[in-house]
Amino acid sequence: MSYLVDAKGKPCPTPVIMAKKAMAEGHDTFTVLVDNPTAVENLKRLADSQGFAVAVREEGGTYALDFAKGEGCSACEEAVNSPLPTGGDWAVFVGRDIIGDGDRELGTNLMRMFFYTLAQGEDKPGAVLFMNAGVKLPTLDEQVADHLKVLNDAGTEILVCGTCLNFYGLTDQLKVGAVSNMYDIVTRMQKAGKVISL
Amino acid sequence: MDYGVITFTSTYGAIYAQKVLKEVAPVQVMPVLREISLGCGIAVRFQPEDLEEMRAALAASTLKEGEYAFYAITGSGKDLTAQPL
Repeated sequence: MSYLVDAKGKPCPTPVIMAKKAMAEGHDTFTVLVDNPTAVENLKRLADSQGFAVAVREEGGTYALDFAKGEGCSACEEAVNSPLPTGGDWAVFVGRDIIGDGDRELGTNLMRMFFYTLAQGEDKPGAVLFMNAGVKLPTLDEQVADHLKVLNDAGTEILVCGTCLNFYGLTDQLKVGAVSNMYDIVTRMQKAGKVISL
Repeated sequence: MDYGVITFTSTYGAIYAQKVLKEVAPVQVMPVLREISLGCGIAVRFQPEDLEEMRAALAASTLKEGEYAFYAITGSGKDLTAQPL
């Protein structure tokens, strides 16, 4: 029986912190129990970023994630450490739903044109990170969501703040990207060579 | 024509036209292509099959002829061509 981390009923980002603690304590194999799909996705990303393989089992609304340190898988470690395959290593942070101060309508147009240009360009970002009112773009703005899908298909990570989606009541309306948390978003910023903030 | 683009002589015209045009057919906002020099920076992109509806909607709007222009876009990148319609 491997080490067991019971994170059922714990709010985001507690399950991720508990799993990180298990890794820090040196457990090469352990199981995390959670009770919501968002936590499962967050834990899978944690596993990927830390060189762990993870298998998910579901039973009656409880998810058991078996973590196993990727032994002898040099390809995995290389993949984790190597630069992103597309777009170079840069990220865009979007903390609002319009570009700049001033007229909202003009700002909305500028934001749509920004993502249009980004999606059409050769040099695509490694990640686009949405927080606060920025989360209205991958949920409510059809045009921006379309451009984000193009970016996502080309390998750009789209991370959307779950706390913010919840705050604005938009969790069910996410059209593209992954529900994420402050830990993932900060880590992604730190990994990027440059972060462009809008 | 891969897609059509409408440019405007003013930003106000571009923002107003979107409201008119999106009632007729799906449109996207885009920056004016470098290959087209006319007017302000906001352009509207539409599907080729919606050309006549776009023309009719703008003709019926408060925008005057000469305040907007239609282009047919073919290709992309270095091979992109913009043909006035």
